[in-house]
Amino acid sequence: MNKEKLLHKLQAFFDPAQKRKKRHIEELKKILRKLKKKEQKITGKIEQADDDCLKKLYQTELEIIRLQRKKGIDVLQQLREHKGSSD
Amino acid sequence: MPKALLFVVILLLSYGFWLSDEFKGIAMGISIFLFGMLSLEQGFKAFTGGMLERILQKTTDTTWKSLSFGIVSTMLMQSSTLVSIITISFLSAGLLDLIAGIGIIFGANLGSTTGAWLIAGLGLKVKISAYAMPMLVFGVLCSFQNNKQLKGIGYILTGLGFLFLGIHYMKESFETFENTIKLADYAIPGLKGLLIYTLVGIIATMIMQSSHATLVLIITALSVHQITYDNALALAIGSNIGTTFTAVIGSLSANVQGKRLAGAHLLFNLLTGIIALIFIREFIIAVDMINAALGIAAADNTLKLATFHSLFNLVGVVIMLPFMNHLAALLEKIFVEKRPNLFRPKYLNSSATGFPETVVESVRLESIHLYEHGIHIILHTFGLRKRNLSDQSDLKQLIEHNNGPVEYDIDAGYEKRIKGIYSAIIAFISQANFTWEMKQSSKLTWLRDANRMLVEAIKDTKHLQKNWGRSRTSKNQATRDEYKKIAYQIVLLIQQIEKFRQEIAENELPLLSLDVLKVSIEDEDMQMNRSIDTLIRERKITPETGSSLINDSTYMYNIKKNLIKTAETLFVHDNANTMRIEQQLALNEAEIKEIVQAVDAPITDNL
Repeated sequence: MNKEKLLHKLQAFFDPAQKRKKRHIEELKKILRKLKKKEQKITGKIEQADDDCLKKLYQTELEIIRLQRKKGIDVLQQLREHKGSSD
Repeated sequence: MPKALLFVVILLLSYGFWLSDEFKGIAMGISIFLFGMLSLEQGFKAFTGGMLERILQKTTDTTWKSLSFGIVSTMLMQSSTLVSIITISFLSAGLLDLIAGIGIIFGANLGSTTGAWLIAGLGLKVKISAYAMPMLVFGVLCSFQNNKQLKGIGYILTGLGFLFLGIHYMKESFETFENTIKLADYAIPGLKGLLIYTLVGIIATMIMQSSHATLVLIITALSVHQITYDNALALAIGSNIGTTFTAVIGSLSANVQGKRLAGAHLLFNLLTGIIALIFIREFIIAVDMINAALGIAAADNTLKLATFHSLFNLVGVVIMLPFMNHLAALLEKIFVEKRPNLFRPKYLNSSATGFPETVVESVRLESIHLYEHGIHIILHTFGLRKRNLSDQSDLKQLIEHNNGPVEYDIDAGYEKRIKGIYSAIIAFISQANFTWEMKQSSKLTWLRDANRMLVEAIKDTKHLQKNWGRSRTSKNQATRDEYKKIAYQIVLLIQQIEKFRQEIAENELPLLSLDVLKVSIEDEDMQMNRSIDTLIRERKITPETGSSLINDSTYMYNIKKNLIKTAETLFVHDNANTMRIEQQLALNEAEIKEIVQAVDAPITDNL
């Protein structure tokens, strides 16, 4: 490992803000995975539902989850960009 | 301390000061030592803004863990009183159960015996006054800093400095005291001496409210042979019993849980003391054997006393540990939880005000209590009960067939069920110290807002009640149906919130799942307004009735929005880290409207 890389690693180790950001990214990824799972589950429910009303209900839930995921992905990208620029 | 007793103590001390300079020196040493204890407690309190509480919550799920927490925390802080107070606060706020609390108290008793080792092993062997001076200088310097942690360290250093200085003065005064009066001449041998000195130990600790101070006094007196070893043992037993006095006094303002814990403390120390008194000879032999094994000189009475103190407390823990559940059951029988007055605060008591976490949890629990009352009022307004919310009940049918007179007096309900608790919550929050970490302060602000929104929901229900009541006797079917729809949608949301509450433990993303309910509120509002427009256009209702319906549907919309916001604050509260991220992903008003526009169809089927 060259000196510059080692210095960066050490800097990251001692920088609490950097650590917090890393933890934030990990937590966010976990939530996004859960949302993805939820999305797949509801898609399955829509396919199986006979009742139009129920289908619509699931459709709304699906839209909500998709929007939440989109927001999450945007936040993740911003965090990664920020992390990259501060590195 | 009662005023009469304080007066007697002051008189006796003054007489003693007049009689002897050495006595004055000893009393000054004790005072400095006690001041050091206060400063040490103050210092550790600076670190109780989260860290200590987090450790306490995570490390008390098993008996061994709670016992270890009691031992380690008391060993580090050298104050079983502070540990007891924190435990009582947590117990009162419902963050700990009684068994865990008893475990901590047992551990704290054992942990506090390390104080005797420190004094006997370090305090008397090393010239500790030399360490006291720099500690005081650095301590005072740090305590002037604005940084909370540095201030805390400052208080701890000052506390330790004063403790050392107090021990030094006591030791010096006892040494010169030896030249004038020999207290050992007043030693009482045998059983009589044992009982009398135990009583003296109890009284001395009750007055000083610190077993540490009594112990340091005993150890320093013993080190200069002012008291005999046998009498010192009795004094140590007495100090162990006397220390419960502080906990009992502290529990007077606590709720029944706090009283139970103080009861456990008293029973443990009393029983341990009795065992030590009965088997004193056996203990003395055991102490000699242990000290010989540890390589401690047979003539070193101070370390022998420290061993005795640890040993009899350890024996107490070993004997009592298997009976912890029985002890808890006995205490629950002695201190019976009174059937709480439904209309009074249940969780707000002064013992919970000491620590940020307990204040927040007490306010949250009390707010849930208030929420239950609020829901009671709203449901009764529409002629329903909480039991009607179970999944089996068909709310539509219940509302459809509920044609009897419903004249619930919301004002009386508010006065009886809401006002007292709501005012108590507001008063409790305003008493809380807002210099705490921002996190706790903002949590309290959210809780206060949640309560305000609940009250607004009740007030809007009152506005809605008048027209809803009239509609029930209306000859116009469409009017009756629209008002039934309003009642149904409110009650349905309450049912959905109840379901959400029950399933919250299994819900991986509780906050985000509430977005579904938020979207449904917006969607129903849009559908409702559309339906009213159609009814007016088709002349099924008059424009006057239409305008009333529009006003009342706005009340309904506000009730639902306020209820969902209240539920969000009250029921979604665990794991702050995940919650912060969920808050980032939760939909805002504009996004909710965007979804509603996209779907544009009723989510809950109409009546």
